Amino acid sequence: MFVVATCGLIYELVAGTLASYLLGDSVTQFSTIIGVYLFSMGIGSYLSKFFNRNLIGWFIQIEILVGLIGGTSSSLLFLLFEQVESFRILLYLLVSLTGTLVGLEIPLLMRILQGRFEFKDLVSQVFTFDYIGALLASIIFPLLLVPNLGLIKTSFFFGILNVLVALIVAVKFEKETSWAKFLKISSLATLALLLTGFVFSERIMSFSESLAYRDTIIYAKSSPYQRIILTKNDRELRLFLNGNLQFSSADEYRYHEALVHPAMQGIKSPRKVLVLGGGDGLAVREILKYHSVVSITLVDLDEAMTKLFSTNSLLLDINKQSLLSPKVKVINADAFQWLKEQKELFDYIAVDFPDPSNYSVGKLYTNSLYKLLYRSLAPKGIIVVQATSPYVAPKSFWCVNTTMQSVGFFTVPYHTFVPSFGDWGYIMALKENSYQIPSAFLPNLRFINSETFRQMTIFPKDMMALEAEVNKLNNQVLVHYFEKEWASYLQ
Amino acid sequence: MIGPFSRRSFFRKSAAALAGLTLPGMLTECAPATKLTKVAGEIKGGAASLGHKLRGEHALFKQAPSQILNYEYVIVGGGVAGLSAARWLQKNNIDSCCLLELESHVGGNAASGKNEVSSYPWGAHYLPLPNLDQEELLKFLQETEVITGFNEQGLPFYNEYHLCFDPKERLYINGYWQDSLIPHFGVPEEDQQQIATFLKLMDTYRKLQGSDGKYAFTLPVENSSQDKEFLELDQVTMLDYLLSQQLDSPYLHWYVEYCCRDDYGTALKDTSAWAGIHYFAARRGVAANAETNTVLTWPEGNGWLVKQLHKLIQSKVCTGALVYTIATEGEAVHIDFLDVKSHTTKRIQAKKCIMASPQFVNQRLLPEIPLRDQNFYSMYSYSPWVVANLTLSKPMERKGSPLSWDNVIYQSPALGYVHARHQQLNSHAAQQEKLVLTYYWPLADKDPKIARREALQKGHDEWIQLIMDDLTKAHKNIAQVVEKVDIWLWGHGMVRPTPGFIWSETRKKASMPFDNKIYFAHSDLGGVSLFEEAFYQGIRAAKEALGSIAS
Ligand SMILES: Cc1cc2nc3c(=O)[nH]c(=O)nc-3n(C[C@H](O)[C@H](O)[C@H](O)COP(=O)(O)OP(=O)(O)OC[C@H]3O[C@@H](n4cnc5c(N)ncnc54)[C@H](O)[C@@H]3O)c2cc1C
Repeated sequence: MFVVATCGLIYELVAGTLASYLLGDSVTQFSTIIGVYLFSMGIGSYLSKFFNRNLIGWFIQIEILVGLIGGTSSSLLFLLFEQVESFRILLYLLVSLTGTLVGLEIPLLMRILQGRFEFKDLVSQVFTFDYIGALLASIIFPLLLVPNLGLIKTSFFFGILNVLVALIVAVKFEKETSWAKFLKISSLATLALLLTGFVFSERIMSFSESLAYRDTIIYAKSSPYQRIILTKNDRELRLFLNGNLQFSSADEYRYHEALVHPAMQGIKSPRKVLVLGGGDGLAVREILKYHSVVSITLVDLDEAMTKLFSTNSLLLDINKQSLLSPKVKVINADAFQWLKEQKELFDYIAVDFPDPSNYSVGKLYTNSLYKLLYRSLAPKGIIVVQATSPYVAPKSFWCVNTTMQSVGFFTVPYHTFVPSFGDWGYIMALKENSYQIPSAFLPNLRFINSETFRQMTIFPKDMMALEAEVNKLNNQVLVHYFEKEWASYLQ
Repeated sequence: MIGPFSRRSFFRKSAAALAGLTLPGMLTECAPATKLTKVAGEIKGGAASLGHKLRGEHALFKQAPSQILNYEYVIVGGGVAGLSAARWLQKNNIDSCCLLELESHVGGNAASGKNEVSSYPWGAHYLPLPNLDQEELLKFLQETEVITGFNEQGLPFYNEYHLCFDPKERLYINGYWQDSLIPHFGVPEEDQQQIATFLKLMDTYRKLQGSDGKYAFTLPVENSSQDKEFLELDQVTMLDYLLSQQLDSPYLHWYVEYCCRDDYGTALKDTSAWAGIHYFAARRGVAANAETNTVLTWPEGNGWLVKQLHKLIQSKVCTGALVYTIATEGEAVHIDFLDVKSHTTKRIQAKKCIMASPQFVNQRLLPEIPLRDQNFYSMYSYSPWVVANLTLSKPMERKGSPLSWDNVIYQSPALGYVHARHQQLNSHAAQQEKLVLTYYWPLADKDPKIARREALQKGHDEWIQLIMDDLTKAHKNIAQVVEKVDIWLWGHGMVRPTPGFIWSETRKKASMPFDNKIYFAHSDLGGVSLFEEAFYQGIRAAKEALGSIAS
């Protein structure tokens, strides 16, 4: 009885929590889930009057079903989150199904016990247990279950309890039920299934990445290199790579204008341009605003990215079809390897790699790579490197600066505010100490002008230059700085 | 593109961690012992090696050679020592020279292989930064652009692509991959204290010089101080030495034994304390752009260095040539060998012969000559090694630090594995791609003769089972991702510096030439199996040979 009651509430809590993980906005999610759940319980109770014979048998079957559906519900929801168009329908369907079944439980149970107790004792006992069970559930759920078991294991665990109840009843009341054997076998089978789920729940969890995104996923694809996800809401489109936000259409212009124009404006009629990373074509879009440019070489590892941004109409709107320009040559290759072999000189090089959050990417921020960049830069050319947040990760930011200087570059660090990211930093690098803040920028920009850029080169006290080691292939200090700084920021 | 951790992605990570938190270990660690379905691959070396197969060709060896060739110099053996000797002769404008190597490739214990995923070593895989007084070696590294220049203090700049990338080393201990090979994760304070004491002691030895002005421990071995107090260390085992210093921590003992097995293939109780300390104290290499303890490495390991040496002297190399007898006759030395391809025997009449083959081989090739008697040869013993190259369809699971160059499992009988693609530049996630791991296993537990015999009897399946059982400790799913395992059995992998060997009178005289005709150049002459020693021995022997011709 007690178990039955606890299980009932747990499924509801699981569904509510999941909904707020996956869909965001916990108050609405929780209250609509609870509403639907209670309403379905009402339906269940109503339906109970149509069950007239073999009550114990029905009860057992319902227990098995509750165990099965409730137990697998969270895994199903996690797994189907990306596959199913209208996830909400599935969510509420599962919630109402569980609710209805749970709603059937109590009336049936009371009727089964009818002959065995006096009515007032029966009502008092059943509801006492029901409410105590509910209390227990609501306490152990946030305090014990979620932190220790996680959602998926919690549901499996209670599914198992439900089915165990079914099994015990089936064994105890063997003589009073028809199809006792069938009931026993099916409860054993369900039990086995749930146990397997319990054991493999870590794997299930890793399949389902969905709880990272609060908006609707409109595109999801795994390339050999990364997981590409596009989400959309009324206001903006967002791109995530391996779960990390790459841009939001609402404010990416700030980021890309700051990446491109201070350098481009500082070069006398730039002709040849190289973009490393940046497969979204957004930097290229900015670069194409300069008519002196005759060629742009874009080197991005992932063909899936450059293809997506050359074909998807929503994205073509954002990057203004930049990758389709006849001036643009897209090369899908590893930037390090490519740079090592190429022999051309470029006037402007935009380096837009992912943050140095692991050793693989960390290589792209080493003095070895910067030496190759030095070799690839025209004498009066300029390079700009995106260099993580100087506010969150000042040591990392200044490490990129130091590393670039160590190979002979003169640098101009600057930073700007991009709402989706925070305060973001760039290092501009030149072969001569000759950079002057441009007196004018292109007229048709949305964000940057001479005055704005002047401000960007000012670093307030909490972002002042820090001593940092040179990042090398054989020490990867940047990855260590970066990990430490972001981890403590996110705590 | 930027990729800050978004709050959500961080949250997702913690949620995933939570989901996985339950009953840690209980469900995962009791996974059944790996039972493997057939894994592809083969055993090379050992019984499959040419040398082994040709043992039965005695009848052929008794007949007169079918062809007589003439060279001024012959080098027997194309390992690092032989190649280094050939390079030296070349530098001294010797044209009439032939290097005979029984295998189809040069390199010996520094051989390497390659498949569609990566190049990989079959044996030696790294070179620590050389000491500044190893001038010839530094020169060679300059010639090959491993050293790109020197700073004002005379410290070399090393080519960054050849310095081992970070992360370098990881140890799996107490269920977790920790940084560095020195045990610390979950290691009691007192043991850590002992480890620190020991390392400090070794650091003192590193700097120590004897009354003869030489370093107590250095490379080549020959250049080490001859002060009695140091040489006496050769009389005791490394185990006894540790105990005599009140160092009894099991963690420390494991670590030092790991080092002895790594450099010599010998257990703590079988290694001379002089050799054991040598591991820690003989390297003082410094660089303008790297730390002292850095190493040079390549996807194919020291196979890369072998290729550079080979390039220089390619035209002098004759592979598939099994030398079976050497004899002096008048002014000449006769080198008889089997040309494996044509299956005929040939003779070279030479003025000088440099034996760059190990002493256990020389025992069979050479006539009885002074000093080299039964007694002499019986001092040389060699540890058998197993090296396996595992091709994985994707990276295996691991807890803790990410895959690094050298990955060692605490208390494993083997030495763990090296990630062959570590030095590749491709920045993109090795995380999703195929890997090659080179697994090293010195068979140091038993007497080498017994271990060698047992090893020769094991089949491919048996080795794989043993290797998987070991690796499964640290990587639950390794059996599911392994595609292919090739195995190389080194019957005589490394000379064993057992107590009393290195500084015995016999060993000290081992490289003495015979009759101004036969010279010796193998790393085992120094008593330690190291690239630096092999490289040096080759040059020393070549110099001796050249010197005597001039006279
Ligand atoms: C598994 C393993 C790992 C190692 N790792 C390292 C390491 O990381 N770093 C390091 O410095 N050292 C390492 N070593 C030691 C390595 O042996 C030396 O560095 C070095 O390569 C030895 O060179 P060598 O020329 O002295 O000997 P060998 O490599 O033994 O060369 C002898 C050559 O002679 C040939 N030969 C033998 N008999 C005949 C014959 N009858 N006729 C013709 N040719 C013959 C052999 O085929 C061989 O090519 C390792 C050794 C092993 C076995």
